[in-house]
Amino acid sequence: MSFRLQTTKARASTLKLPHGDVPLPIFMPVATQASLKGLTYDQLRETGCMLCLNNTYHLGLKPGQAVLDAVGGAHKLQSWDRNLLTDSGGFQMVSLLELATVTEEGVRFLSPHDGSPMLLTPEHSISLQNSIGSDIIMQLDDVIATTSPDHARIKEAMDRSVRWLDRCIEEHKYPERQNLFCIIQGGLDLELRKQCCEQMVARDTPGIAIGGLSGGEAKEEFCKVVDTCTGLLPENKPRYVMGVGYPEDIVVAVALGADMFDCVWPTRTARFGDAIVSSGTLKISHKVYADDFRPVEEGCTCVCCRSTDQGGLGLTRAYMHHITAKETVGAHLLTIHNVHYMLNMMKNIRQAILDDQYPAFLRKFFSDIYGGDKTKFPEWAVGALKGVGVDLLADS
Amino acid sequence: MEATPPAMSFSLLGSAAPILAPRVGKLALPGRKATATPHHVPLTSRGTVPHIAHDVIRDHTAINSLYVGLEDFIEKKSPAVYKTPAAAHESPLKKFTCVAEDMPLILGPRRFPAIPCPPANTSNSIALLTSVGFRQLPSSEYIEAVRKLRPDIIVGMADLANKEPGNKRRAKMVDRTHAWTTEALDKMYGDSVPEEAKPKASFFAPILPLDNAQQSLYLEDLESEFRWDISGLALYHSASLEFVPESLSGLPRLLFSEPETPHTVLREISLGADLLTTPFVGESSDAGIVLEFTFPAPAPKESSTKPRPLGVDMWSPEHATDTSPLTEGCQCYSCKNYHRAYVHHLLMAKEMTAWALIQMHNFHVMDLFFAGIRESIQRGTYEDDVYVFNRAYSSSMPKSTGQGPRLRGYQLPANGSNQPLRMPKAYGQLDHAKQKYTESQIATPDTDASGLEEHGFAKKV
Repeated sequence: MSFRLQTTKARASTLKLPHGDVPLPIFMPVATQASLKGLTYDQLRETGCMLCLNNTYHLGLKPGQAVLDAVGGAHKLQSWDRNLLTDSGGFQMVSLLELATVTEEGVRFLSPHDGSPMLLTPEHSISLQNSIGSDIIMQLDDVIATTSPDHARIKEAMDRSVRWLDRCIEEHKYPERQNLFCIIQGGLDLELRKQCCEQMVARDTPGIAIGGLSGGEAKEEFCKVVDTCTGLLPENKPRYVMGVGYPEDIVVAVALGADMFDCVWPTRTARFGDAIVSSGTLKISHKVYADDFRPVEEGCTCVCCRSTDQGGLGLTRAYMHHITAKETVGAHLLTIHNVHYMLNMMKNIRQAILDDQYPAFLRKFFSDIYGGDKTKFPEWAVGALKGVGVDLLADS
Repeated sequence: MEATPPAMSFSLLGSAAPILAPRVGKLALPGRKATATPHHVPLTSRGTVPHIAHDVIRDHTAINSLYVGLEDFIEKKSPAVYKTPAAAHESPLKKFTCVAEDMPLILGPRRFPAIPCPPANTSNSIALLTSVGFRQLPSSEYIEAVRKLRPDIIVGMADLANKEPGNKRRAKMVDRTHAWTTEALDKMYGDSVPEEAKPKASFFAPILPLDNAQQSLYLEDLESEFRWDISGLALYHSASLEFVPESLSGLPRLLFSEPETPHTVLREISLGADLLTTPFVGESSDAGIVLEFTFPAPAPKESSTKPRPLGVDMWSPEHATDTSPLTEGCQCYSCKNYHRAYVHHLLMAKEMTAWALIQMHNFHVMDLFFAGIRESIQRGTYEDDVYVFNRAYSSSMPKSTGQGPRLRGYQLPANGSNQPLRMPKAYGQLDHAKQKYTESQIATPDTDASGLEEHGFAKKV
């Protein structure tokens, strides 16, 4: 890994993984069940994606560990020759399953099919991720909502996550080809986060994730946690903020020193007919786009927006309006655009950092979204960026 | 009526009997990809080939013509498709649907297969179904539409019956279709139309799925008065191929039929069809069935006398760990890059990519099937090859064991209120947890606790 330190805490670096180098900072699209929502992997490659996500919970259920072992892992299953990251499955347990309870042994839950009690342990999670063969695997952690008022429970979750990390490291069969990331817990309590960082860093995993965010906490709190954690983490390891997020969250978190992000929002919102553009999102199904013959975003270099002269498809908002929510192809095309938008934004962020122009990038970014009206800039972003030496409200 | 030289050229190779014989030809439109016939015509829905995005069509398929129905575009009062900016030589319809300018585009009033409309056709309009409901399309509006949209081939408006027509209705069908064809040709290519205003598009005149005698007056007009304004024929039943007048036998024949199997396609071609619709391709893809037939049929396996299946059901669990291509040796994009285990997994997970990959494969199979047919006709062995094919392959498509993709209202028949549900109800019980799984769109495991344990996901306690 190589880093270049810049003003703010933003970092540009290169993450070397078994299936190719990944430029950081990066956004990782989520191919939940081993496919990115209707796209072929050549279409995903075309967006420039070097690293995408699969979900352990879903692959554990379909196709299941036996099939993954027989086929030779998730890369072979989906014919993806670039990098994969898998989560631990713990998040889905808690967020999707009613009556899931966490014990020292693991997550107890009722089988959604027949209601019989089941137990997911750190060992199970790692064994499954070993079968999946992803380049980055995540420890099983004790996930609770950051907004939980129960301080004792948050502390317990933090301590337990550390203990589970030890069990994960113990169980991990292929540390030479699969990089196990720890997950910092501790809710919104900065003191707990500090303790957690200290203990996790001592375990020397190849990368570090900041977990438990993107759960509806106030953005100010989110920024404080990221800022606190990155301040304590070693410079030479990638920092992954899980489940984040919207473009605004990402550009701020990068300034606070985070490197990796994932979120289903860009692909999910595409299926609902929303296109991500530099001014925010366009609800393509709205009638104002019915006769709008401009590309989804002027100047965008994705295959949908590029004109036919430039080797693109020359798709218009009018046609996207015509097929969105009516043809699955509409969802495929908007998914391509949105993923491309996110990856291109990350590319621009990286370039701005390398050029030492990140503060200017941030000012332009927020100005584009809010039509140049500084009074509309969100306070949390202004405040968080001030903390790392960027005055968003200054004239650029 | 003065002759307007058609922009399209259709040349037949070899000397076939004028009618009721298989034939090989080449359909060439100026500035467009040429199409060797017989060929299948891919069908579109709202300008898209279902499941496969525009870049996939361009990069990974050999699709070289498209059929589009006007009804997919005119649900609004002031349809956007008519406002598409386009240069004089460009087709606004192609621009709107982002189809390459050199892709031959066939436009008809209705999508195919069209959903039967309860409202009746009238003497100057047909009933059709847009995404917001039924409406009438007057002949004059259709003519205006094709003039504006400039497709390569226009299919003339025909009065088609939803069910077997009685005697009175038959007479009406002929009279109306006759009148609409007259009106269309007059308004587009008539003497009163200045030369530069005449559409470049080629007009395919409809021939009704009726007996020869019933439409003889109309056919006579096609042979005489309309002869030089029509560039092809659109037929709605393979039996109509018999009624093609000899003097029109040089025209390409576009057959709108719904063959259930490739056997029927072969029969239609043996009757002289040039361009054919094959809705079973998309239906197979929807059902998760990978087509697997070639023409001529491969030499029979010695050990087995059982007919080969026409396709393989990818829902079947036997593919779960099978990393071989969908069809051994197939050169399609899906087979070269992915395998059965993946497609099976995607179907089980109801991921859209499943249908995209199967659709690409199935179109490739059809391309090869038609290429084989053309070679066989030219070799002069067509009849024998068809005989062998019919014996070698099963006479029906394999049954699908899974569910198809979600269908929209305008893709489903609208007749009657007592239709069985296509999909099981997603809601119903006031079960909080269940509702949450459904809303979260997360696959709930269709296995019980021991299944989960077997998957290594968790263990029972």
